[in-house]
Amino acid sequence: MSSDVMLVAHRCQTCGKVHYPRHDRCLRCKRREFDEIHPQGNAKLLTYTAIYSLPCGFDQPFLILGVGEFENNVRALGQIKTDSVKRLWTGMVVKAEWGPIRFQADRIVSGLVFEPLE
Amino acid sequence: MREVAIIGAGMIPFGRREQDELMDMLATASLIALDDAGLGDTSVDAVHVANVGGGMLQHQSAIASSLTDRLSLLPAAAETIENGPASGASAVKAGFLAVASGYYDKVLVVGGEKMHDISAPRATDFVAAMTHPQAEYPYGITMAGLGGMFARLYMEKYKITPLHLHAVSVKNHEMGALNPYAHIKSPIVPESVFEGDFAEINNPIVADPLRLYDLCPVSDGAAAVVLSTVEVAKRSGRPYAVVAGFGQATDTHTLAQREDPVELKAVTLAARAAFDMANLTPSDIHVAELHDAFTILEIAISEHVGFFKKGEGGEAALDGKTCLGGQIPINVSGGLKARGHPLGATGVAQVAEIVWQLRHELPPERQVQNAEVGLTINLGGFANNVLCFILKRVQP
Ligand SMILES: [Zn+2]
Repeated sequence: MSSDVMLVAHRCQTCGKVHYPRHDRCLRCKRREFDEIHPQGNAKLLTYTAIYSLPCGFDQPFLILGVGEFENNVRALGQIKTDSVKRLWTGMVVKAEWGPIRFQADRIVSGLVFEPLE
Repeated sequence: MREVAIIGAGMIPFGRREQDELMDMLATASLIALDDAGLGDTSVDAVHVANVGGGMLQHQSAIASSLTDRLSLLPAAAETIENGPASGASAVKAGFLAVASGYYDKVLVVGGEKMHDISAPRATDFVAAMTHPQAEYPYGITMAGLGGMFARLYMEKYKITPLHLHAVSVKNHEMGALNPYAHIKSPIVPESVFEGDFAEINNPIVADPLRLYDLCPVSDGAAAVVLSTVEVAKRSGRPYAVVAGFGQATDTHTLAQREDPVELKAVTLAARAAFDMANLTPSDIHVAELHDAFTILEIAISEHVGFFKKGEGGEAALDGKTCLGGQIPINVSGGLKARGHPLGATGVAQVAEIVWQLRHELPPERQVQNAEVGLTINLGGFANNVLCFILKRVQP
């Protein structure tokens, strides 16, 4: 698994608001100029769930997902590498990686994967 | 703006309707509503059809044109309206605005969905298609998964316990059992669902912390209403409903992008706009249909609409304040939880239910006594597009 998180977020050049996913105008000040930024450092787990009723395309009994907030305010959904939600709590620190998240049309799709650090 | 009346309502029982085609369901509900409106052998000016999955699941598009032909309502104007799970309310809104503007006098609004043409994982995938295509969908998130993440935060912040969620589930199953149109007609036996050795089996986790009995079912079904001018409504000589208030608001597509993910900002704004238009307050509402796709949502929406203070909706449900005969009866129909949730049908079904309540024609075990004002909240996506109607009874 590559440790380079390929996720691209956008910081408004005018007011500094961080957007992920991309917006064409800033949610706060409506301006259109953004800097591309990457998530920095570890993330704080804001919330999470384990899903047992999965959509087609996932060949596993369950999937654990959560929203992480990085040190530079990028917030994003990712899969969580753990075998039980019992090992998780809101506010815990997780490490982010970029790795396979699913198969789609016979190819591997990569995305954000969190690994609990505590 | 002209005042708009709702002069007819019709529904077919929600559930697993494997024998029925989508178009059959839409046509049947439409005819019931047209007959109820006294327009069974005449015409309407326009037909609005709410549907989400026709193109994806039945490989059929331009449904409204086809339905208008099939019902011999030609040359009425026809549109299909897709707005996720809020398609139903959006179709009612389109009809409301058309009559209010003075352009049309009579509009048929029908919503329907056929979700059992595909397997459960494909149905889950179909519903998940409304999540963000890059930031959410590829990760395997489902609507229930978003509900689970929301529930975890809401429960932590407002000290909501599973007992509060059970109260919603028990109430809505109990009411669904009394509603001939409901998908789920079995009252909950708490001893076997929530307690005891088999609780884990009977009520498994679906999207932690939400369990099976916290979720609405996947349903087929259709519902219809007929909107008209007040002049047309008066001719029937019987009670009818008018649209006293309407409001709609949107929020960010992803839950993660919201400043405070437990704030259902669009619900607050949509309800406030409807209350302002109607010149009413939450305490004026006698009956409400709220979008309880998950039990936690009924509690959260009841607070964001203003029926209860933040953090008090769970206790209110537990105390019976949202039951029939309580302070504000919520989802007396069984709600999405028990009546079911055929996406395009839901918002129309909510309005139809309130119309029946305001006409005082439901059996006593489901009728809110002397109901004069009712409210609906229909959510599209995960509360990122919210529509609110306030309806008022008129006795000619
Ligand atoms: Zn800005």
